Amino acid sequence: MGRHRLKLLIIVAILPLLAFSVHKYYISLTQVEYVKEKESLQIISRYFIDDLEFVLEKKYSKTKFQLNTDFEIDSVDNYFKKYLTKNLLFTVNNTPYPFNYIGKEYEDDIVYFYLEISSLDSIASLEIKNTALFKYFPDQQNIIKTKIQNKHTSFYLNKQKDKGLLKF
Amino acid sequence: MKNLATLIILFFSISIVSAQETTVKEGHYNTSKFRQLKQGLPTPNKQHTASGAPGSGYTQQQVDYVMDITLDDKNQQLHGFEKITYHNNSNDPLTYLWVQLDQNIRESHTKNDDISTRRTRALYSPKQFSDKFLDKGFDGGFKLQEVKDSHGNDLSYKINWTMMRIDLKEAIAPGATFEFSIKWWYNINNYFIDGGRSGYELFKNDGNKLYIIAQFFPRLAVYNNVDGWQNAQFWGTGEFALEFGDYTVNITTPSDHILNGTGLITNLNKLITKKQYNRFLKAQETFDKPVVIVTQEEAALASKDFSSKTKTWTLEAKNVRDFAFSSSRKFIWDGMAVQLDSKKVMAYSLYPEEGNPLWEKYSTNVVANTLKEYSKFTFDYPYPKAISVNADRQGMEYPMICWNYGRPKNKERLSDREKKGMIGVVTHEVGHNFFPMIVNSDERKWSWMDEGINTFVQIYAQGKFDPQLFPTSKYPKNIIGYMAGNQDNLTPIMTNSEDVKQFGSNAYHKPAAGLFILRETIMGHELFDYAFKTYANRWKFKHPTPADFFRTMEDASAMDLDWFWRGWFYTTRNNDIGIKDVTTYRVTDKKTKRATDLLKKYGQDINKIPASLYLISDKSDDYSDIATDKKPQDLKILKEYLEEKQLHINDSDVPNYFYEIVFEKPGGLIMPIIAEYKFEDGTTERLQYPAQIWRKNDKEVTKVFTSSKKVISIVIDPDKQTADVNEANNSWPKQQENKFESFKKSTIKG
Repeated sequence: MGRHRLKLLIIVAILPLLAFSVHKYYISLTQVEYVKEKESLQIISRYFIDDLEFVLEKKYSKTKFQLNTDFEIDSVDNYFKKYLTKNLLFTVNNTPYPFNYIGKEYEDDIVYFYLEISSLDSIASLEIKNTALFKYFPDQQNIIKTKIQNKHTSFYLNKQKDKGLLKF
Repeated sequence: MKNLATLIILFFSISIVSAQETTVKEGHYNTSKFRQLKQGLPTPNKQHTASGAPGSGYTQQQVDYVMDITLDDKNQQLHGFEKITYHNNSNDPLTYLWVQLDQNIRESHTKNDDISTRRTRALYSPKQFSDKFLDKGFDGGFKLQEVKDSHGNDLSYKINWTMMRIDLKEAIAPGATFEFSIKWWYNINNYFIDGGRSGYELFKNDGNKLYIIAQFFPRLAVYNNVDGWQNAQFWGTGEFALEFGDYTVNITTPSDHILNGTGLITNLNKLITKKQYNRFLKAQETFDKPVVIVTQEEAALASKDFSSKTKTWTLEAKNVRDFAFSSSRKFIWDGMAVQLDSKKVMAYSLYPEEGNPLWEKYSTNVVANTLKEYSKFTFDYPYPKAISVNADRQGMEYPMICWNYGRPKNKERLSDREKKGMIGVVTHEVGHNFFPMIVNSDERKWSWMDEGINTFVQIYAQGKFDPQLFPTSKYPKNIIGYMAGNQDNLTPIMTNSEDVKQFGSNAYHKPAAGLFILRETIMGHELFDYAFKTYANRWKFKHPTPADFFRTMEDASAMDLDWFWRGWFYTTRNNDIGIKDVTTYRVTDKKTKRATDLLKKYGQDINKIPASLYLISDKSDDYSDIATDKKPQDLKILKEYLEEKQLHINDSDVPNYFYEIVFEKPGGLIMPIIAEYKFEDGTTERLQYPAQIWRKNDKEVTKVFTSSKKVISIVIDPDKQTADVNEANNSWPKQQENKFESFKKSTIKG
């Protein structure tokens, strides 16, 4: 590991990068599906628990979340909702739409968030912006996969390019 | 018979006619995914044989070291003098030697900066600014003071960054030895600031330091049968390639330090108190739980005064490929004996109080478990001991010793994730004793051969230690996200360590998941374990290459796995198998349109052939007219036939339902098809069609499944054994409710 490169990473990203033999990747995946019959935009957004916890603890200082442990704080969903609402933005037909936070589930090292935008009778354009984790993880990539009107697309968001626009 | 022959002839002539009508394509090479890897692998020879074993001509150098090291705690420097004995066991005269100077990666202006392509940042601390733009950063490169032959004459040498060539006046003949010595020193890095796999941690509250020292001496590069000199520079990612040899190392530390390292401490009774030494002896005979040798109170006391006196530890290690040690006033030391099949070995841990209560509870127990479990997969751990050192933010391995992270945030409340991280890293780093410390692949070239193979065994070892924390059901599906990712960010596993993208997934998790699939799904435990053990035993204390691994796994199992290596290791393809279409057939004695038409095509009249049984598809127009609920054995012509031949058949053995299933494979990888058929009575039957089903058609195959009971659904790979990246096509009938809707429903119910 180069001296300066590593140093930069330590300062910016602290813990997870340092263990040489447990390298990992910095990725989130957000799947977006439009179900026309239900007028529903269904979103499943997944993150590595440790990365998210690190960022939340930085952001909401002093709170120890202890995610997915017996000691997890009770109000955790409020924090998740707050963080996602700020970082994951959907603009449908040029209008920003807030999502309903349906809930979360943990599986191994990953947390899945279930979010929904309802009462959408048609989609002509969809812009998705996801800035989650960028602030503390410079290598973070947020992958977006969409299935809208039987059209599959996927694109990558990173610090430099944090949103993507789809037209139908 | 005659009719049948006519039919066959007709059929073939028709297919020839239709082939002539298609556009003529240009010829092509063999592009089958099942073609043998032969051209992709090095030609077997007497050194690395076609069976994957070391051959009669295999040679390996030996390098022995006698070193005097001083750890200068006050100035954070290491001073050393080494006498090296180089045994030229090759058949080649050597006119020069290559010596690795790994610390030169930390020179004040290092080449690593020149290849760094990071962008400017918004803000810099003064230190960062100085390091980056003023070139006044930390200088951690080796300072060589002398390089001499055994007569005390200077040897001529040339340094090329992290490699030093020593030019010899006379070639070292095959079988001869050459003795020389090097004197050096360097500044030890604070790895929190300057990074690195070694260095020291500063405890700010009292000024104590915890040293983890490795790559600290000029080390001989490997000279082998496949590369000549392996003198690839140390750029930082590709770890180490080293020769085996015997070490005697004297290390002088402040007298209040506790030290441990590679090899046995031969003068321990003079270095610790009598009480401590008695505890040490007790630990040698205690198999059930760790015995504390240096207590937390003793460590706290030792940490108070910074003694100006010194003491010298002597360590001896036989047949190791490297040497590392750790030293601090803060160390608590515990240990226990571990019984393997053929011998007893020791498990130890060194940790500051900051590691407790996590460390006292788990570390040494995890070391013991790791030695036992890895030994089952390979061979009984050949070294006398293994040590786990608690070093914050580290996970790094050396022979008999490794650094592991794990400092609980809250001593009252250990979280499962802290526990999991720590047990995982200790298992992984202790496991590295087997791969690559003993089965000594070339880390600088192939990270997967040590990281991937080690991560694979780790899955089972940690699962054995705590099945709740480490369920093996997580594998291989853990790799799906990576394999389904953007192809621009993927590299094949068979990529040089320095060129790999997404290192963790590429070098650790993908090879581990691949071997997991081989063991659990493709080969089965018995065939896999025998072959894997054969590989480990053939290559222990030797230098295997990827081809040796691939060849041994096939040679010892009679399984052609070239398709698997080719796909999983040489490409970035992923697996996606789906169900494209299912057609149901029933048996009837009524003449179907399909049969009528077929016979007509060949000039035959269906009314003139003997009574037959017909299969009618649920998709044909005449299905509702002809299909019957009668079981085949109740149909007159079959019943009569069975009676005539006096064949007694159980009802459940007679297929009543016939399914033609078209499996599609949008994914580029070859995999077996695992299909689970669910019947209307709720029971299931699972079939695994071997990967070879894709030999002649890489996109689509049709299978017939018959059953006395009606199938209500079919699922591919229900237990997620094959890293299938797309589940949307895995069921028939197509799953209507998606993951989102099932979750939403469950929250409403809950």
